[in-house]
Amino acid sequence: MPIKSPFEACIAKPGQGNVILSLLPPSNPTLTTLTYKYPLKLLTRAPHYVPQSSALSCPVSRPVHLHLLTYGGGLLPGDHIDVSIKLEPQTRMVVTTPQGSTKIFKTEPNTSVKGRRAPGRVLSDKSRQTLNVAVGREAALCYLPDPAVPYKDSRYEQVQTFTIDSTTKDSQRSSLCMLDWVTQGRTSRGENWDFHLWRGKNEIWTADESGKKKLLLRDSLILDEELDEVCLENEDETLNRSGLIRERTRPHGIVGTLILYGPVFESLASFMMDRFTSLPRIGARNWSSSAPAAVESSPNFDSKVTFTAARVRAGFVLVKFGASDFETAKDWLGNIFREEGTVLNEFGEEALCCL
Amino acid sequence: MIIKSCVQVLEKEISDLEHRLQDAKARLALVSGQETAGDSYLSLPQDVVPLLPNHALFLLSDSALPLGSFAYSSGLESYLAHNKPLPPKVTPVASFHRFLKLSITSIASTSIPYVLAAYRQSGDLETLDNDMDASTPCVVAQRASIAQGRALIGVWERAFRGTYASGPFLAGVAAAKAVTAIEAFSDALKSCVDTADALGPRGHFAPLWGIVCLAMGMDAHQTAYVFMLNHAKALLSAAVRASVMGPYQAQAVLASKGLQDIIIERIDREWDTPVEDAGQVVPPLDLWVGRHELLYSRIFNS
Repeated sequence: MPIKSPFEACIAKPGQGNVILSLLPPSNPTLTTLTYKYPLKLLTRAPHYVPQSSALSCPVSRPVHLHLLTYGGGLLPGDHIDVSIKLEPQTRMVVTTPQGSTKIFKTEPNTSVKGRRAPGRVLSDKSRQTLNVAVGREAALCYLPDPAVPYKDSRYEQVQTFTIDSTTKDSQRSSLCMLDWVTQGRTSRGENWDFHLWRGKNEIWTADESGKKKLLLRDSLILDEELDEVCLENEDETLNRSGLIRERTRPHGIVGTLILYGPVFESLASFMMDRFTSLPRIGARNWSSSAPAAVESSPNFDSKVTFTAARVRAGFVLVKFGASDFETAKDWLGNIFREEGTVLNEFGEEALCCL
Repeated sequence: MIIKSCVQVLEKEISDLEHRLQDAKARLALVSGQETAGDSYLSLPQDVVPLLPNHALFLLSDSALPLGSFAYSSGLESYLAHNKPLPPKVTPVASFHRFLKLSITSIASTSIPYVLAAYRQSGDLETLDNDMDASTPCVVAQRASIAQGRALIGVWERAFRGTYASGPFLAGVAAAKAVTAIEAFSDALKSCVDTADALGPRGHFAPLWGIVCLAMGMDAHQTAYVFMLNHAKALLSAAVRASVMGPYQAQAVLASKGLQDIIIERIDREWDTPVEDAGQVVPPLDLWVGRHELLYSRIFNS
């Protein structure tokens, strides 16, 4: 029988990572598995922050931080990152991207591509990111990353799948807070939705006792310049089509989605709903003849960010927003999270490092 | 894409050749003078398909089909309010045309995969309905879709079922399966308790449209095309009532080649999209539709 090499990598494929967070008795969150391979890098940190109070009735464990890193802080064409995370019952994890925005690079293809009339006029490889998270009973995930910044002509696809435990009810449910946002590109270089493809899908699944899976929520955004090889060979058509994504996202420079679920984030979810329903009515007028003309309210964050919040189904609150630029959206979100306080209280200040 | 365009070119060539053959036959008939009275109308449009199967098509494309679609503007009203006042160089009609294009593109990418999936696999209706509900991001759009879907089931049960569920009009095995699937779904819908946390059947419009069209013997292209055209009709009708344009202008837009082209282009693009890859391509549209609730005055339900 061959002896297994002790130096053999535990993961075969590049870009794969695997994390399991367990709670060892009495209340000691421990990463029982942590593996990754180039170009992905996973760093963890267990800060000494212990939540003083919590929305959960069970004993609260310390949140563990996981930093998602890639070499160079972004993805090159052909890169495929595949991370799977498992949170066992009653654990808490904060996932952030400390390198700043996730850059989606584009490299010029080699000039010596055979059989191509015009070298350089081919679509680049897609870069892909897959994230699979299973959140156990009474466990909580807080995933507030920086936005993705797709560079000109880049192509990118990401699928983020979350599986929650639905065998329990009410205060025993899993909790989830995730943010997914994408910007128009490098504004400093004049990029304005100039990439070729950005496809982001966030799915939340649940499995019942018999193991039958059911889709609870799917948020899918496709920003596609709708180019194909035929168009690329024909310069005129490319020129005609350029700006398709820009036209479809106007007037926003950044769009995003925030998904909230579970007992830990319940008060944040209600806060978002209140914030939305108490927005001033659009097109409201003051009909009374005696009252002075309505005072123009000072521009605040809510007036700069267009957003909607909805309690969709199964207790999910879905917030969608669009703003003119990254800073505005970041300030708005950071302001809401800090004012409301759930995330600070349950996970500590560092959970908001990207905002 | 290359294969697709090849197929299109060949299809075009075939129809062109057929047309020329017909033309030649007609001229031969004229020259030889053999045929008399009966063929004098040859130059008129031919009855390509017998009228009978089209009867269902006419019913389903009728704007008087009682689905209540007139009550929804699919975000147009909110779009107009959000873009007020318009920049000086943009006319209301131009602004509406932008919305029309965005809305058609968006409805195609979010709904056509579900319409076609229900048409192709009628047994999956309940799963499709659940997935559609999970993929609809705001309550306003959900309400609109569910109201029209349930109305369609109502019309099927009270009006169409009598003729199409059995007898000479039942169009084959697939249609018979569709009839059973609608029946089962409708029963589940009626017995489901409408509580907040229950995830029972909801009755979304797109998958039900696909399956009702199948039950009535329409082909897949017609099903998708009529779905899109009905959406365009509802938008234009809303535009007339929101005083964006007049009724004649609206009919002109409906009849225009531009609208036909964009509908066909979008259907072609989504023809093979699996439901898992359906998604929003116009992110601000979700915001406009969701913020319809914030309007001070409203004449539509969405």
